[in-house]
Amino acid sequence: MTYDWTLWIVFILIGLATTLPRASFIVLGQRATLPEGLQKALRYAPAAALAAIVAPDVVLVGGALEVFNPKLAAAFAAVLATQLSRNPWLPFIVGMGVLWALR
Amino acid sequence: MSPNFREGAREGFRVFLPLSVGLVPWALVTGMTMGGVGFTPLQAMGMNVIVFAGTAQLGTLPLIAAGLPVWLIVVTAFVLNLRFIIFSAALARGFHGVPRAERWLAGHLLTDGVFATCLEKMLSHEDPRWRLGYYLAPSLWSWLLWQVFAFCGVMAAGSIPKGWSLEFMATIALIVLLVPMARLRPMLLAAVTGGTLAVLLRGMPLRLGVIVAIVGGIAAGFAAERWQGKGR
Repeated sequence: MTYDWTLWIVFILIGLATTLPRASFIVLGQRATLPEGLQKALRYAPAAALAAIVAPDVVLVGGALEVFNPKLAAAFAAVLATQLSRNPWLPFIVGMGVLWALR
Repeated sequence: MSPNFREGAREGFRVFLPLSVGLVPWALVTGMTMGGVGFTPLQAMGMNVIVFAGTAQLGTLPLIAAGLPVWLIVVTAFVLNLRFIIFSAALARGFHGVPRAERWLAGHLLTDGVFATCLEKMLSHEDPRWRLGYYLAPSLWSWLLWQVFAFCGVMAAGSIPKGWSLEFMATIALIVLLVPMARLRPMLLAAVTGGTLAVLLRGMPLRLGVIVAIVGGIAAGFAAERWQGKGR
């Protein structure tokens, strides 16, 4: 797959969506505070978003639900490796290994 | 550079150096994934410099590769970065007395690892120059490691055949980030809700399903925390 110049606009927009949250309170300083309820709710954002990206990728094949597929098996293997080992490479080795073996 | 700045920088670097090794696999995987979705080395390093954020890069790469609408990619990146608003708020007091331009730089360079390492000293040390040095040294070191090892990853991806599905490494990386989060019950519920809704609502127009899924996941986690708190 090749990409045209619009990819750079996407990078800049993602960059803004990254730098603005990071810089927010560091730049604003004491002029602003974050309500405690909102702080609590925001803690769940990364987990919800990560799952919302991962789940469709591993259970859908060509847009249709397919529970027995190599990607889901590879994902399970990666979850197990993450749970059972502290080696940072293992989930990638096991996950990619299962993916390649089942295809 | 004032002597205080240098002294803070040395101390920050010393504390962070052993931890920074953990960045290497992430940078390599991010580089290999960017190569895997078909970016040229220039495009890959462009993203790496402009965005400089592992989770946001790995999280948006599958969406970019799938050709999803730009607004959805940007909103997803923003949601993945919401945690930084909390980190930024927690650190803000440590930048009291630091000029505006340097605060923008510090903000741009904020990472999970540096936040966890620096938070305590940033709030306790008296001298603003010392604090800035203590924060910037590990941040710039992270930046350098991130660029160098991502570049190695991009180059490695170039010599691997297309059929090997390197882009799946992004999914594995997101799983590795997700699993330790999901060890807390409300967090697990947020993830399960977010994942399930994203699959069920995949047919929604404009891909709004992903956004609804994320909001639903946040609500589920928050509700579970409330409910757990009342049960005690």
